[in-house]
Formats: sequence, structure tokens, C-alpha cells
Amino acid sequence: MKVKGFLKDVGGASRVTKARLSAFENASSTPVREDPIGNVAREWHPGKLELVVDRIYPVSPTAKTVRFVRADGKKLPPFYAGQFISLEFNVNGEIVSRPYSLSSAPYEARQEKGYVEITVRRSKGDGFIADYVNNELKEGDRLLGNIGLGQFYYEPLRDAKHVMALAGGVGITPFASMAKEIAHGTLDMDLTILYGSVSSDDIILKDQLAALDCKRVKVVHVLSGDEPGWTGERGFLSAELIRKYSEGDTSYFICGPQVMYKFLREEIKKLDVPARRVRFEVFGQAKDITAFPGYPAEKKDETYTLTVRRGIHEDRIPAKATESLVVALERANIRIDTACRSGECGFCRTKVLSGDYYVCPENDGRRGADRDFNYVHACAAYPLSDMTIKIPIE
Amino acid sequence: MKFYKDHYDVIVIGGALAGLSSALMLADKGLSVLVLERHNLPGGIATSFVRGGIEIEAALHEMMSIGPEGNRLKVGKFLEDMGVNVDWLKVPEAYHASLPGIEVTLHPGLETFAREVDKEVPGTYEKVLKLLNLCHTVFDSVNELSIHPMSKPMMLLMHEAFVKTAGYSTAEVMDTFDLPQKARDLLAPYWIYVGSGFSDLPFTIFSVLMADYIGYGSYIPRKFSHEMSLKMAERAEEMGVQIEYRQHVEKILVKDGKVYGVRTARGDEIYADYVISAAYPNKVYTSMIEPLSEVPEKALKMVNGRRLSLTAFSVIMILDKPAEELGIKDYSIFRGDTMDTDELYRDLAGLGPYRYLTCICHNYGNPEATPEGTCSFSITTLPRVDGWKAVTADEYDAVKHRVAEQMIDDMSKYFGVQLRDHILEIVIETPMTVAHYTGMWNGCIYGYAHTMEDHIVARLQTAHEEKFIQGLEFAGAHQISGDGMGPAVTNGRKAAKNVLDDIKAKKEAAAK
Repeated sequence: MKVKGFLKDVGGASRVTKARLSAFENASSTPVREDPIGNVAREWHPGKLELVVDRIYPVSPTAKTVRFVRADGKKLPPFYAGQFISLEFNVNGEIVSRPYSLSSAPYEARQEKGYVEITVRRSKGDGFIADYVNNELKEGDRLLGNIGLGQFYYEPLRDAKHVMALAGGVGITPFASMAKEIAHGTLDMDLTILYGSVSSDDIILKDQLAALDCKRVKVVHVLSGDEPGWTGERGFLSAELIRKYSEGDTSYFICGPQVMYKFLREEIKKLDVPARRVRFEVFGQAKDITAFPGYPAEKKDETYTLTVRRGIHEDRIPAKATESLVVALERANIRIDTACRSGECGFCRTKVLSGDYYVCPENDGRRGADRDFNYVHACAAYPLSDMTIKIPIE
Repeated sequence: MKFYKDHYDVIVIGGALAGLSSALMLADKGLSVLVLERHNLPGGIATSFVRGGIEIEAALHEMMSIGPEGNRLKVGKFLEDMGVNVDWLKVPEAYHASLPGIEVTLHPGLETFAREVDKEVPGTYEKVLKLLNLCHTVFDSVNELSIHPMSKPMMLLMHEAFVKTAGYSTAEVMDTFDLPQKARDLLAPYWIYVGSGFSDLPFTIFSVLMADYIGYGSYIPRKFSHEMSLKMAERAEEMGVQIEYRQHVEKILVKDGKVYGVRTARGDEIYADYVISAAYPNKVYTSMIEPLSEVPEKALKMVNGRRLSLTAFSVIMILDKPAEELGIKDYSIFRGDTMDTDELYRDLAGLGPYRYLTCICHNYGNPEATPEGTCSFSITTLPRVDGWKAVTADEYDAVKHRVAEQMIDDMSKYFGVQLRDHILEIVIETPMTVAHYTGMWNGCIYGYAHTMEDHIVARLQTAHEEKFIQGLEFAGAHQISGDGMGPAVTNGRKAAKNVLDDIKAKKEAAAK
């Protein structure tokens, strides 16, 4: 172009228009459907997949591992060791979802004839899904599962190369996944697992962990029960014990029952480690919501009417003050997408149109503006009056 | 069970900023509107998420076209007119430029900005101000003409600068100002927000970018972009719009060249006179229209004749120290090892190391953005989709971490602080993340590249010839105004206006 000449040029608009139209004219008319970036996204996050129970086998006197393969025979999605699967169980016609940390390693999912596994302990009468898995689920059963959820995994850019896992009971599962992945050579970290159990019979995946034979993985069993002949560590996962096995810069990853979280929060404080070095797996559904601060105990026996809007459709269902909105919906057979059931993932984000509710303070993972506009995560919200909510159509 | 009405005037596919803007405008005119959004919240990438109890902005750096209270620009005004009252916070500066031989923070206001450039490059005040004023004149014309189209002679009379610069690239117009290289570099950092190198970027687009951001400054919502998205969705519902989340539209139903509804992944067939699609024309014309025989060859040639623009890669961190203790002094930092935008643009086709980074520290826009003693800091690059298309699912995690690590290391060197020693939370957003949550075609958040071959002036002139299916409109970054959250609103309004104009024309025809 002639410098400064453009100020006399009034034909620019026509010229660029012609250029554009001629680019179209010269383009191919073959449909281009490829969306490779979307394809990678879908391979990592395919959503709910139909899975088949391939094998069920005991991993301790009190726990079983359930192996799933993909019903359509395709490759399972990648995930990070430590992440969970959300499984939908059909128990006597009621669809109930539960999150389980995957106890199998990511490489096992991606290999030929890949699989994922969960490990479930028989409950002491308070977990009807745990009992269902232990007693009724059988090989060949089909169910839907969403694989690779949650934030509880080693992040090399953030975490110390040495991770100390503080595990209690069935909370060993995410660390079993990490340990296997490390031993396989596909996860570059060092792992020391302090694993608290009541008795040696309670130890889950003991043989599997022992069989790993990997210098980067160390497992220390700690028994709280008074077991004769036990030569290993005894007691709880105290600050003292944690200190004994810590070396250099260490990240602490904690997964176990809710009582353990309470105990460990105090012990961790004694260690004087920076906040960024401590990561708790999500809390899980509150066992007893009435025990949380601010819950109005006088309402605990109430049952309210929950009006549920989906599109222009409305249902009315009962909802107990001590059960989350998700549980009320599941009992009424109204589908709602859930995953972590700890108020964190937001899958069950729900609009409250009217009524009072209580949100479990341990599990309040809402966005600020969502709070302002009365959105709740239905797995962590409890009705305190008749309510009207709007949920997505599933 | 019946979840939908028998018929809607308009179905909007996608409840992000463009789709919600369409919905607001149509509901305001009394139309019945259904918005179907695949995710479980509104906004698309204009959203936030919570990690470790801390809410984190997902994508917004700074909104343009908002303007101060009492003197709102078009997007700020539209939202207010619709009854969407966002709690806007003004971003304190334009940007900190960290370029070879340059370390300076520049502020909005055309004269302020020119003065600050003059301080760095003495003797340039007049020329820089003249250039910025030219930008402003063109910007005014664009705003005016996008509402009131006029004849060419009229345009030449009233919008001379606009007409006379229309045929030229940013580089060509800048050349005529004969500015020292350093001054040109100081004017260039925002280029990434429009995503083309200056030799191919229409000056018209550069004008809008500079006049809007430098002229009026930029804004963020107090409670992250989710506040804006949610307030738009809430207001739309208040106005009678039905919004259904987690509904993935798979097909747009067409008969005899006219749209009549959509079908969702769960199998619902829903009927309407108009469909506004935020899904890319590429996807719509190649796999969503049912039957595909309704897609004319011209539509395919059009999408194949356009170049996809940029996607996004962000490393978003919550750090365990206040910003000032880490040496972070500004809301926004543009850092490059060159300011040659053409070279940088070529570079964006690869997989890094990326040489031009955009950093945001939200705490300087909103001191309460994170808990006391912490700060949020994000590092973003906006790659072209080309390089990322080659990454497989098995390589994905390694590539993602390599790129993120390079970006963190680069900024750590800059601050003289090892940022990795301060990370409380980290989220790495990639083109695949965008594709996962929004379904955007190839994760492309910028729509089609603003180029001399796909010029906004040309887009405006031929828009009416690019309607291939009656009743089908598009709203999103792939439309006339292109990328950005401000332009998303404008694109959404334009789609709604097209629907309203069509209804009006049909009524008039019927009356005759």
C-alpha cells in the first residue's frame, strides 16, 4: 500500500467484502466434522458409561473388590490415581448413586481389556449400599458409572514429591491406586502410607499392597486395637507418629472416616506444615446432620412437602428434615445427577424457589452468587420447611 | 411427563452470555423463549468454580463496553436496561507491559495513556493521542452503524474515518503514524484479546479494542463472571424465559428450508418458529441439521472458508501469600519476549513454550477476591486450535503439565519468586477443558479469526446473504462481533434483533 494514501481510499469496504466472498467461493464444500479437541475431552470425560461387573473378590475378611469393564468393549477413560467413580445402583427399584475412590490404577483402565475397581467394606448396619454391594451385586450385573471425578490426586506442580498418605479403614483405596501407578512407573512420586486399622483383620488390600515391591512406596500399618502379637505400630495416626515417618518436604493426603478427619485436623496443626501441604479428600455425606452447629434440633423429626419442578412439570414428595434433598428425590424415584455427595462437585446444583433449608457447613461448596440467589447443592441441603425446588430434567 | 410447552416462539441453544442476551431481549418483547444449556449452570466459560473452599474465576480477565455508572457503554447499558444489575468493579489499570526493554504500567483514559507512553518514549504524545482519537472515531462509527445501517454515500459523509480505514490492516494504518518502535510496542499488548497479528488484523477491530478498553477502562463483577451470568439467567427467568440445564441439543429440525424445532440427547422434540444456536455453524451445518440435505452447499463453503481463531490455556492458582509479598503489583500483566504480533501469532499454532502470556491478579480488582493472606494469580495464553488438534488423549496430561510448568517457570523468573512454592490450589484449563464444559467446537472460544479476508465490515455487509435456513440464527463468538464477553452480548442481541425484524417483516407482509 502507498503510505498515507489510504486517507483518500473510499473503496476499502467493497474490497474487503469481495475478499471475503471470494474466500468462501474458493473453499471446499466437503463437510468437515472433525472436532479432535472435543474428542479428547469426550475420551477423558465420557459421562455416565454402562459398566459390567466382571469379577468380585475378597480383599480382607470384611471387604470385597468389585471389578468393572465397559459394556461396549471400548477403552475406559483415563483418570488420575486418587479420583473416584460415581456409580448408580438400582436397589429394589430405587436408583441411588454413590461415589467410590477407584482402588485400581489408571494404567489398568487404559490397558488391553482394561478395568476399574472399587473396594467396599461390609457396613456395620448403617450403609445400605455397602451391604448391597457386598451381598447382592453379582458378576454380570450392569450399572452406570461416571469415572474420574474429584480433586484428590497428586498434582506435580503443587504437591511435594513425597506424599504421606494418612488413611483410615476403606480410605486406603485412593492410595492403593496411587501405589499401583507408582509401581507401574507411570506416576512420578514417592508415597508413604500410614494406614490405620482397628485389627489386622480389618486391613484392606494388605496383600496387594505388600506385593507391589516398589522402593518408592512404603506402607506402615498402624493398629488401634489391642491385638496380641502385633509387632508393628500401634495407636492412632498421631502427630508424633506422622513426624516419625515424615522426611523433608512432604504433602499430607488424608482419606478416611469422618471421625478420623476431626482427629487429624488437630494432629496436623501440631506439625506446623503449611496449608498447601495438607489435602483432605471430601468429607462424604454427613452421617448425622443434627450434630452440626446451627442445625435446628427441634425440627429433626419433621417431614415436609417438597415440590419439585422439572421443566413445566411438578411433583410433590415427602422430605425428612434429617435427610438431604438428594435423598428425598432418590426415595421418590426422581432422578438427579450427583457425584461427590459432599457438596463439592456441584453436579446436584439446585434452585430453591421457596422454603427454608440448612446447608451442612462441612459440605458447603457453593459459589458466592449461587448463595445470593438461593442455589444449593442438593446433597448437602436439608429441608426445614415445605420447599419448592427446580432441578434439571434427567 | 411433559416438561416443555407445545410450542415456543424461540429456542436458544446455549445459556452462555450470547444466548442469555438473546433470551433477555426476546422476552422483553414478549416472546416465549426456551433456553437449553448442556451444563448445569449458565455462562459457558463466564463462570467460576470452587476449590478448597475458595471461589475462583474461570475465564474473565476484564469486561469491555461496560463504562462507569451513569455513563454506561453498550453492554453495561443493555444489561441495566434489561434489569440485570451487576455489581461492577473498575479494574485499576489498563495493563502492565513487560516487554523487551519495557516495564511500565499504563492506565485508561486516552490522554492519560498517551501521556504515559510519552513518558516512556518522549515526543510521541501528539501522535499517540491522534492515533487513539482516530480509533475512537472509528469505534463511534461502528457502534452507530451496527444499530443504524445507512447508505454508502451517507456513510462516507458521516463516518469518513471508518470508511477510509476499512480496507486496511492495523499495521498499515499504524505505519502512517510513523511512531518509534517502542511506542508501537506499548500500544500493542491488547492484541491477544482480538487474536490476530497486526498485518492481518482489520484496523476497525483494533480501533474498537483500543477505544473501548483504553478510553473507558474495564470492569469485573464483584462475585466473578458467574455473578453476571447468573444474574442474566435469573432475570431472564423472571421475565418468563424457561431455562433448562443439562439439556444437550443434538439436532436442529428443518423442513422445506425452515427450522421447526430441536431434539435433545434425551430424546425430547421441542418445537419453535426460531432457533438461535450458540453451537458453531461448523457443527450445525455438518451434523446438527436434520435432515442434512437441508444444508445448502454455500453454507458448507462458508464455514470451510473461515479460519477458527484462538482457544485458551490457563494456569489458575491460589497462592498462599498476599500478592505484594510475591512481587505481584498489578491487576494485569502482558509479558512477551517480543511485541511482533505477527510472529507471536505464528507461534500460537504450536504447543509452546508460549512467548506471550497474560496474567491476572484478581485481588487488585477486588481485594476480597480470596481469603486474607492469599491471592489469586492466573497465567493465560491463547493458542490457535491448530496445535492442540494433534494432541491425543494419552498425551494430553503430559502436554498440559509441560505447558503449565513452562508458564509458571517463566513468571517465577520474572517475579524472582518460585511460585510453585506457594500454590494452595491450581487448576489448569486447556482447550479440552473448554470443549468438555461448553461443547464449543474444537474448544475454540474466539470464533473465526478477525482477518483482512474475514473483515468485520465485510461481515456486516454480507450478513443477510449468510442466512441459509429460515428461522435459524446464530449467537456466539462465531458471529459478527467476534470474541470476548462484551462482544458475546452484542452477538446475542444481534441474533435476537434478526428474529424480531423477521417477525415484524412477516407481520407487515401479512397486513399487505
